[in-house]
Amino acid sequence: MDCEKVGDGGLQGDRIDMLYGEADAAARARVEEHLAGCAACREEMAALRGVRRDLAAWRLPRARPSFTPRGIVVPRWLAAAALLLLGFGATLGATGYASLRRSLVAQEARAAELERRHRETVQTLEAALDRRPAAALDSPALLASLDARIDQRLRASEERQGERLDLRLAGWEERAEAQRRVDMARVAASLSYLDGRHGQQLARTNELMGYVLEASARKR
Amino acid sequence: MGRSDEELVEACQAGDASAFDVLVARWEDRIRGAAFRFLGSEEEARDVAQEAFLKAYRALSGFKREARFSSWLYQIATNLCRDRLRRRKTRATVSLEALEEAGPVMVEMRPGAHERLLERDLAQAVRRAIQALPEEQREVVILKEYQELTFLEIAQALDVPVSTVKTRLYRGLGQLRLRLERDGVRGAAPLPAPAP
Repeated sequence: MDCEKVGDGGLQGDRIDMLYGEADAAARARVEEHLAGCAACREEMAALRGVRRDLAAWRLPRARPSFTPRGIVVPRWLAAAALLLLGFGATLGATGYASLRRSLVAQEARAAELERRHRETVQTLEAALDRRPAAALDSPALLASLDARIDQRLRASEERQGERLDLRLAGWEERAEAQRRVDMARVAASLSYLDGRHGQQLARTNELMGYVLEASARKR
Repeated sequence: MGRSDEELVEACQAGDASAFDVLVARWEDRIRGAAFRFLGSEEEARDVAQEAFLKAYRALSGFKREARFSSWLYQIATNLCRDRLRRRKTRATVSLEALEEAGPVMVEMRPGAHERLLERDLAQAVRRAIQALPEEQREVVILKEYQELTFLEIAQALDVPVSTVKTRLYRGLGQLRLRLERDGVRGAAPLPAPAP
């Protein structure tokens, strides 16, 4: 049996609100009043609640991570291991970051200290220059002194280079002598070996000859 | 306590692009879920979600904040799904082939193989019934039942009055009831009276 108010939009709206638990008190009262006297609507409301229960059965597939290629399933143990590694890495990273921050702060303090000292030195030097009378940089005496110092440095450098060269030559001579001795020893050893081989062969030939002579004597 | 959608939108409009990342993280799963139920394809759902966020980002400067950000986002995603369904050249229903291609249906796992089979059959019947609904009813059913939007949010997302949303939902539920009863699904029929 159909309800005579089946086409009533207001009642439909109220019933939908009721079905989803969004009806206010007035709408709820209207629906309940109607349901109390209308078996068709009671049956329909019960059926729609059943439909809603059924709809809950359709669940979404588990979303694949966008970076996982299709068809490849990452095992759980691998994911767990990755998470563990990630956590470890994050801890290390955090520790490293804190340490880096401390180091940076210390370096900044040191740089500020050096900057301060540098400024003080510059100021001291500037003050000293202001006190000293200005000397001409191209005066003959200054130039002569510079020439003498340069000559002296050059001579010292040449002497040092000469000494190094002598030492290097002496080293080469020693090394060549040692090599010569080693080569001679090797030659002597080789000759001795050859002599030994030759002696053995000679003895064996003599032995064979002895057998031959003995054999021929027996035939006769 | 995280920032609200509205605060994030405001930050984004002021030039803080990272605020949009938060919005994406907050809404991506739900938008993709809705698109999956509209289209029946996981790949397409992912594409739609990405496209929806891209469109939203480009249009964010013109977003007036008269509606909620989520409603606006659902509106964009729903329109994208409609475009895709039209391109499939179907007439209000999705072909059974497309449904089968949608992959296995996931159901809540319960102890007992028989129960699981029943649940899987039920889930497939529900999916077929929803996909067979006219588009305007299907949209409302999905947004209400699975996305749990309020009637006002659905009205904003679909750009129709709230009363229209309720009418479509009422008719959609009625259609589902008929179809599920025809398929012999248990819950759609009134529960049998207990045995004396």
